[in-house]
Amino acid sequence: MFDLLREGLPLFLVPQALVLTMLGIVAGLVIGVLPGLGPLMGIVLMLPIAFHLPPIAAMGMLIAIYIGGSAGGSISAILLRIPGTPLAAATLCDGFPMAQKGRAQDAVGLAVAASAIGGLVGGLILLFFSPLLAKFALRFAPPEYFAMALLGILTIAIVSEGSALKGLLAGALGLTLAMVGTDEFTNAYRFTFGNFKLSSGPHIVAVVVGLFALSEMFFQIEAAGFLARPNVQRLRISFRALRLLGHHKFNLARSALIGTFFGAIPGAGGDVSAFISYATAKKLAHPNEKYGEGAEGGVVATEAANNGTCGGALIPTLTLGIPGDASTAVLMGALILLGFFPGPELFRYHPEIVGGIFVAYLMGNVILLVVGILLVPLFAEVLRVPKAWLIPAVLLFSTLGTYALQSSTFDLWVMLTFGVVGYVMRRAGFPLAPLIIGMILGGVLESNFRRSLLISRDGPMIFIERPISAAIITIDVILLIVIVVSTIRSSRKRGSVRTEEEPAR
Amino acid sequence: MQRFRDFAFDWIAWAIFAAIPAVIFWQSATSLAEQDAASGGPMENAALYPRIVASIMAVLAAALALRLVLGRVQQRSPLEARAGTRPALVATGVFTIYLIVLPYAGFHLATPVLCFLLFWLLGIGPVAALAGGIGLSLATAFVFEGLLNVVLPVGAFNIALFS
Repeated sequence: MFDLLREGLPLFLVPQALVLTMLGIVAGLVIGVLPGLGPLMGIVLMLPIAFHLPPIAAMGMLIAIYIGGSAGGSISAILLRIPGTPLAAATLCDGFPMAQKGRAQDAVGLAVAASAIGGLVGGLILLFFSPLLAKFALRFAPPEYFAMALLGILTIAIVSEGSALKGLLAGALGLTLAMVGTDEFTNAYRFTFGNFKLSSGPHIVAVVVGLFALSEMFFQIEAAGFLARPNVQRLRISFRALRLLGHHKFNLARSALIGTFFGAIPGAGGDVSAFISYATAKKLAHPNEKYGEGAEGGVVATEAANNGTCGGALIPTLTLGIPGDASTAVLMGALILLGFFPGPELFRYHPEIVGGIFVAYLMGNVILLVVGILLVPLFAEVLRVPKAWLIPAVLLFSTLGTYALQSSTFDLWVMLTFGVVGYVMRRAGFPLAPLIIGMILGGVLESNFRRSLLISRDGPMIFIERPISAAIITIDVILLIVIVVSTIRSSRKRGSVRTEEEPAR
Repeated sequence: MQRFRDFAFDWIAWAIFAAIPAVIFWQSATSLAEQDAASGGPMENAALYPRIVASIMAVLAAALALRLVLGRVQQRSPLEARAGTRPALVATGVFTIYLIVLPYAGFHLATPVLCFLLFWLLGIGPVAALAGGIGLSLATAFVFEGLLNVVLPVGAFNIALFS
């Protein structure tokens, strides 16, 4: 554990990595504050820039955006009663009433501080458990990797918004996209239609930017209200929240642990953990605390949990190569494109990279605590910027970032195509996260499937002859049964008109 | 017909998902077979895994179609315009034209026009939109061209400002 930190520390303690992590926290908070955007959008927007950087500086920046974005959504939830991200949906239960009672300053301070400390707890658990899990995963061979990749896709499909059937279809589309290009075993061109620009498949960043950023811009324009300036309370810098947080030590620790636990389960996500943590805190609280009417404990519980989730979600991502949600899927994609494939081999052959990521994650949370509180007035001001200025800027940044990947206008057409696909999928209630996870895990799934069959003497029986593989395949089958049953059950209900657009996930 | 209208976006998405297995089987039987990569053991058969995924996808698409026909989808997705649908479509059209023009006009000519049109479309006054368009274009070009050394499209006029 400490060896990893020792190996990674020198890579992180360089000015570029430190500055970019700090900027990542600021960018993440700003993006998290803006309703409709969120940590995923922040990571997606900065992803193309990350490829021009050394690995730890790049991952430090992206992880900082993940952390900052997860915390930033609480600020708009508290000040406007609009959660900047779904992660902060539970925060408004008590955050907004606190603001109405004239305690917006305390609520925002508590949210930022609880997020940072919750994230740190998640980071310590990440630091402790990841090497153990990675050591266990060293026993994995192709059949186990195949079963794990399948588990990752099934889990994300089942827990994503919308029906599991749609989640599975989206995941299958991701698997299909991963097939496009040159087959690694035969060197045959698959589904390229004679276009050499597709010989490596569509660039994942172009697909991600299109699906999430472009479709989101379309939704933002469709929602109108381009010049609206919300009436936001002015805030000032205050460290009083740290003292207030001292009154909620147990709540803070419990919520961070709940968040980390749910984060480590692929697909569960920060919003689920925030609501469970809130419900637990409310149940265990003294009636005088008056949850739902502006209780400090409510803000602490939700924010500590949703940032604890970040650390938890990185555990399966780094050790097994199974991302917990769309944000960690994109982080994993970034790591792969930087030349490092997550999994036990990463811990064995590149401990300095794993250690650097751990240090970046822990330091990111420390920076969040300080910078988050110092820049609170700025974030309140960000909420006053009309959408009319933001939308073209985000669109241009997405375009340039995608172009910069390979200096190719072809990638821009890929981006636009997937922008349209993403919009149609979201309007039809398809989750986008399984598509991305399918695209990232598709290569792992296929290569390990074919390798397993190659080393097998009994064909597909290899998947159930090996104990670990058999255990994971059993879980896969159980999940499939759950999906079939839930699909049949939901088929009995008739349609209802969708009234509110869910953010992309 | 009413049911089709109620679930219009679902049907459009379904058409995309239903077409994919058909394309996979077609390509496996033609392009991959021509490359001698559609038969044999797991190493030689590049069509084995795609066919499995396509089969699963076809079953899933059939199940979704059945649910749509029976109206058993939890949320309807009618093809209804929203307050900003028209500007959103115009913005998409402008952006598509931008992508067509970009290789010929170059980044530094095409982008200020794109930004101006988008700002203006979203309700910002023409002078502010023009200033904003030029400013945003220059700022992003500085970051990508100047700091990250990305060669932005120079177009027929070979314009590069920061490299």
